[in-house]
Amino acid sequence: MAQQNEKMAYYPGCSMDGLGKAYQKSTEVVFRDLDIPMDRIKDYNCCGATEVKNISYDLSVFLPTRNLALAQEMGAKTVIAPCNGCVYALARANKTISEDSGSRERLGKYLAEADLPQYGGEVEVKHVLEVIRNSVGLDAVRSKVTKPLKGLKVACYYGCLYTRPKVYTGAGLQSGKDNPEHPFFMDELLQAAGATTVDYPVKTICCGGGHTIADREVSIGFSAAILNEAARAGADMVSTMCPLGQVNIEMNIPKITEQYGAGIIRPVVYFTQLMGLAFGHSRREMAIQENLSDANGVLKRMGY
Amino acid sequence: MPIHEKSLIDGVIEKEKAVVDGVDVSGRWNTFIKERLLTDYHEDFVQEVKSLQGGKTVTNCWQCGTCTSGCCLHTDYGLREFNPRYFIYLAQTGNVEELKKYENVIWRCISCNKCVERCPKGVKVEEVVHAIDEVMRKRGIAEDTPGSRWDRTYLDNIMATGVLDELGLTLKYVRSEKPADFTRGFMARMAFKIIKNGNVRTGPIRRRTKGWKKMKKVADSILEADGYGSTK
Repeated sequence: MAQQNEKMAYYPGCSMDGLGKAYQKSTEVVFRDLDIPMDRIKDYNCCGATEVKNISYDLSVFLPTRNLALAQEMGAKTVIAPCNGCVYALARANKTISEDSGSRERLGKYLAEADLPQYGGEVEVKHVLEVIRNSVGLDAVRSKVTKPLKGLKVACYYGCLYTRPKVYTGAGLQSGKDNPEHPFFMDELLQAAGATTVDYPVKTICCGGGHTIADREVSIGFSAAILNEAARAGADMVSTMCPLGQVNIEMNIPKITEQYGAGIIRPVVYFTQLMGLAFGHSRREMAIQENLSDANGVLKRMGY
Repeated sequence: MPIHEKSLIDGVIEKEKAVVDGVDVSGRWNTFIKERLLTDYHEDFVQEVKSLQGGKTVTNCWQCGTCTSGCCLHTDYGLREFNPRYFIYLAQTGNVEELKKYENVIWRCISCNKCVERCPKGVKVEEVVHAIDEVMRKRGIAEDTPGSRWDRTYLDNIMATGVLDELGLTLKYVRSEKPADFTRGFMARMAFKIIKNGNVRTGPIRRRTKGWKKMKKVADSILEADGYGSTK
């Protein structure tokens, strides 16, 4: 198994210790199984997501920079983040600091004021999905599978900020990054775990998660589109890789059922939960029961 | 000049009989546009957008429309009034009067960044659109919107302890905005499930970032410099 020589720091982000706890639990298990170390950044803070930048540009760069500086202090060359929003915010801060000298100067001043180490944009930001696929490889994943997800049709939903925009994340420009418009890493991983992935057109559409409560119409519309297209492609479930997307779609399910009927509803799970099931762990271990949508029925029928 | 796309133009004048310098130009040449003065345009508007860090790239735009044609809101959701290319055009020309008509549309951008991804001129469209929204509110052209109130509630929430308290944020926003389908029953069902899992810590027992106090002081000074009042 290819071991990573350089140290990687793990930035969980707020959701992983809150609503996305099931994602955290399943990611921990998958990392352990694949021998990927998980060194948490202690005392991390919120990255500001996409909200803070609408109020203050400097603060929206400063918040993620603190986390990056802490990671560098740990001796890490890479930061792993499980949430699309965090990947975006961290990568954006990196880009700003390394390319905009004016911002770098101001940020340096702020970091000194807060007694933090200086940071120049050296740490690389990666999504959990990229790390699992690239650092151990698909063969290693295949060798770990004891209960392949045979016959399970999964619609992989990547969401918006995983690869977008490439000027920040480097998708399609650097090696080891996914295709910015047609991502395929999750499909590959779940296929390696034995599942069938369906092709459907809204893999990278927005889920409306940024305005889950602020703009109900848009949020419900997008969530319904994702579920509808997944159902049309014949998927048994939708798998996500972002706690915000997951919770947003799940929260909208009651309303979507009311507006569009129960026929298009598919349960939503994290991709790490499916991988964990394929590695022989139980549904309870993968915290399937903690999801707001009910995937237990489908999985029981499949024999998990 | 004959005007072929009359439906697109505000203030078209059609005369039954038109005489210009003693020559009868009735018929084909009878349509004119209402006189417009340069003073109707606020030339400093685009400069103010450009002065914001997020709006720096506004003048790079060539009006190709790639952003709008791919926009999740415009194309996928079908909100046709949401047209980032047009917003940038209006900002560039300083047509504030027209821009005001969209004050209840611009905030609905959900930051999916497809426009930034695809822009061939390197315009950070999503950030520029938010910068335009910000300048409009700064100048009193637009009122606060659900989007801006959401951003502010979010910022106040994370500034308290350094990490997000999802349930606290949701409750606070729902209490002040009252979205129609967040009924008591719905909230109770969701809260029951979430609390049963025992994953969310809200209110006084919410999670805290160690050493946040020092960080908060600096963050507050940044916000003050950006003209944003204190966070509670």
